Amino acid sequence: MRKLASTFTGYSILIFFALVFIYPFVIQIANSFKTEPDAAASPLSPIPHPGTLAGFERVFSGTDMPVWLGNSVLVTIVLTAGRVFLDSMAGYALSRLRFRGRSALFGAVIAVMAVPGGVLFIPKFLVLNQLGMYDSYLALILPVLVDAAGVFIMKQFFDSIPAGVEEAARIDGAGAFRMFWSVVLPMARPALITLTIISFQGAWNEFPHTLVAVQDPALFTLPRGLADLVSGSLGGGTQYPLKLGAALLATIPVAVIFVIFQRRFVRGANEGSDKG
Amino acid sequence: MRRSRAREDVTGWLFVAPVVAILGVFLLLPILMAMWVSLTSWNGQGSPFKSGVPFVGLENYGRLFTRDDLARENFMISVRNNAYYVAIVVPLQTVLALGLALIVNSRLLKGKSFFRSAFYFPSVTSSVAISVVFLFIFSNSGALTQLLGFFDIQGPQWFSDARGVIHLLLGMDTPPAALAGAGPFGLSWWEWLSGPSVAMCAIIALVVWTTSGTFMLMFLAALQDIPVTLEEAAVLDGAGRWQRFRYVTLPLLRPTMFLVLTLGMIGSWQVFDQIYVMSQGAPAKTTLTPAFLSYRTAFRDFDYGAGTAISFVLFLIIVLLTLFQRRVMRERRV
Amino acid sequence: MKHLPLAALGVLALAATACGSGFEDKPSAAPQSSGPASLRILIASSGDPETTAVKQAADAWAKASGNQATVTPAQDIHQQLGQAFAGGNPPDVFYVDASRFADYASVGALEPYGDKISNPDDFYPSLRTTFTRDGTFYCAPKDFSTLALIVNDGLWKKAGLAASDVPTTWEQLTEAAGKLKAKGITPLAISDTRDRIGAFMVQAGGWITSADGKQATGDSPENLKALEYVKTLLKDKLAQYPKQLGASWAGEAFGKGKAAMTIEGNWIKGALKADYPDIQYTAHPLPAGAKQGTLSFTNCWGIAAKSASKTAAIAFVEAMTKADQQLAFAKAFGVMPSRQSAKDAYVKEFPADTAFVDGAAYAQGPVNAAKMDSVLADFDAGLQQLTSQDPKALLARLRKNTQSALGD
Repeated sequence: MRKLASTFTGYSILIFFALVFIYPFVIQIANSFKTEPDAAASPLSPIPHPGTLAGFERVFSGTDMPVWLGNSVLVTIVLTAGRVFLDSMAGYALSRLRFRGRSALFGAVIAVMAVPGGVLFIPKFLVLNQLGMYDSYLALILPVLVDAAGVFIMKQFFDSIPAGVEEAARIDGAGAFRMFWSVVLPMARPALITLTIISFQGAWNEFPHTLVAVQDPALFTLPRGLADLVSGSLGGGTQYPLKLGAALLATIPVAVIFVIFQRRFVRGANEGSDKG
Repeated sequence: MRRSRAREDVTGWLFVAPVVAILGVFLLLPILMAMWVSLTSWNGQGSPFKSGVPFVGLENYGRLFTRDDLARENFMISVRNNAYYVAIVVPLQTVLALGLALIVNSRLLKGKSFFRSAFYFPSVTSSVAISVVFLFIFSNSGALTQLLGFFDIQGPQWFSDARGVIHLLLGMDTPPAALAGAGPFGLSWWEWLSGPSVAMCAIIALVVWTTSGTFMLMFLAALQDIPVTLEEAAVLDGAGRWQRFRYVTLPLLRPTMFLVLTLGMIGSWQVFDQIYVMSQGAPAKTTLTPAFLSYRTAFRDFDYGAGTAISFVLFLIIVLLTLFQRRVMRERRV
Repeated sequence: MKHLPLAALGVLALAATACGSGFEDKPSAAPQSSGPASLRILIASSGDPETTAVKQAADAWAKASGNQATVTPAQDIHQQLGQAFAGGNPPDVFYVDASRFADYASVGALEPYGDKISNPDDFYPSLRTTFTRDGTFYCAPKDFSTLALIVNDGLWKKAGLAASDVPTTWEQLTEAAGKLKAKGITPLAISDTRDRIGAFMVQAGGWITSADGKQATGDSPENLKALEYVKTLLKDKLAQYPKQLGASWAGEAFGKGKAAMTIEGNWIKGALKADYPDIQYTAHPLPAGAKQGTLSFTNCWGIAAKSASKTAAIAFVEAMTKADQQLAFAKAFGVMPSRQSAKDAYVKEFPADTAFVDGAAYAQGPVNAAKMDSVLADFDAGLQQLTSQDPKALLARLRKNTQSALGD
């Protein structure tokens, strides 16, 4: 009897919190399909009455959404590919290749992870400006093309692979890069998938970097465009269905990946968190 | 043998070269450049490294602490706001994360992975998109106001309410004479003791809601590492649920706890995205934070020297607090 | 291996110097390109009608002159321009808000071309003054706006008020507001910024700075009288800030019928037409205090000192500020021409706008001094809490901060 009661309490708490954590998304979805008066009158209701696509139509006709989407897709693809490739190369070297300065370098990577990104806005702008890269795709991509946390994750992973595999390949006389590319990487698939997912998520959501890398609206990514849509001077009128619709478009890709790869996400969060 | 050693050196450095180059050029170099700029009064025209840029030494830093003007006041207000923000966000998200982890970890319940995902999902979404949603939820005729209405509670006008929570709790509109006078760094004691504003509370709610999931996962991983036998032994010894938590689970979670507190503190001292999207420092500067102030000072007021100086002071605050935290945790272990 | 990081750093620094723009750039004028120019124009648009109208005008100019002109609406033009100036690659032509003019001019970002535009004396003198710094007329005023009292005719009648009850003095404003409030109607929606409340300061005979812009006069008794009056209105709920009415600006609150009056500029016409086409309203001069007073707002067509096509840029501005082009803009998005020669035609076209146009005679322009942005933002922060703050302390702060900004 006591056990039953405690199970009941446990579920009640779980369901309460699940509602707290999920209902804002329900509100977001529902209200982006509402008319403006409806959204203002009954923001809590999960059912649009009447349902309308007007908000989305205005997202695509009244804002630069197609440009933002295009830029976001492009930047995310390049960033994800770059991070996965370069991070795993460096992680491999730090784990397996014996070169001078390796441990110092690994210490440096850890140190870099500890630098708070929030204090780097102006410095990043300064260097982009000085190099003549400011306001270009290169500025959006290059500075965030590698991330120390990814290097760390990959190094930890390669540390866990037994050394025997490479010994076998070394007898064949395979070059270091070929060994990495055709022997080690294929074995690292689970780690690569995790890294791909967190890189994708990080790249798609990236916001503050875009703020100091570009100012030309033709180079805005989705988060940047969305932020200016909401906080900028054109925000006259509340227009919540439109804003929520735009925000929904920014949420969907990560949500889809999340639903498919839940377990990987969980693993990525934990591995990345060991960094301290 | 020596030749192969040299070859391994070259190979190794080639493998790490891209990462080293990019981190060097876009992390290390900018920090050095910014250090220089923080010693100048560069106004954003042309290069900050040409000869005509006025060198002002440590004035940009000194101004933040000593000169009685608006720059110092804005900085101190931003520090006050962020300090209250950290003081509430960090404990709240840690407790919530731990609580959620304990429930999700409970062996009696089914559907764990669903709940785990539900709690974690907000953490992976775009901070900008989520801020938009919360702007709507906290708007004057928004969802939360309506929800409170069901319970006959008249909700505040969240984003236009600059009143400090401590002031509200005390029920005071105007300062008592003892606190009205000037306090440290140009703000009166009354201003220092305001608590976070109502508007800041809305942002706090959003941040706690988004970050708890990540920290829950960390606690969950640590909980799963606790051997079942240890718990069973405690049960056999006749320990109650609370005692088991207090004397078995909690001590084993200490390293994770330290990690969560440190990451939470580092992250919340840099709060920027939510401020940029939701309030830009309004109402009445009560959501101004050092990170946002440094951005605004540089890019809107063209005072790049002062802006970078604020960044470095913020950096220093974070480093000092991390060291302090580490020390406290270490002492308690002994 | 200890020295490795240091050595790497040295290499990096060298690399940064070698490539990129270099550490030593020349102070000489921007190189001018010849042949057809490709102008980039950044505007702070009030909405789609303005964007479309400016784009059309730019296209027409480009076609006629054989140049290219690309118009981009900015989301937050201050921020975009700030980064663009620092980035060294600003747009050729852009709107410069009067309140930011001094900042841009003081850092040398603006090309002082004002007198190269034909017939510069035709611009209203007050607008010329706004864009003059140290005796140099920098840039051509694009257009201007003034504040007026906007009255919702439906709510007005509902409260049993007649046209003759539209207030012309502060006393009458209080009286009419009281009657509206008694009928359960919010009388006045007013934005919580010096750009609206400042009008009361002007009406009382005060302002933030002296007429020459050199003295801080924020704590004058006139200003105090103005703030105390507004505070009374707010305390008695005769006036409300838009956020209290669940609106992002006063025009929205007014458009939604949440207030019977508002104080806004002529841009409200376009906004109401677009979002609340059914609302019936009239515009009247602001009620007078010690004297008649309103605020004026204006932008100029800034040309970047770093532009590579200044001649084409000036020709573009010349075309945009012609009287008939300004009238076309007026029709499209409701601004008032900056040239006096266009005034009669404008009044004839828009007789309902008399209150706005007449405001030009007694309007106060924005504070024309550099480094005032954070001072005024601080004043705004105080105004947002006007009901709970001591106006005297607010104004003392304003004076102190203005003084230190002007002194710098």
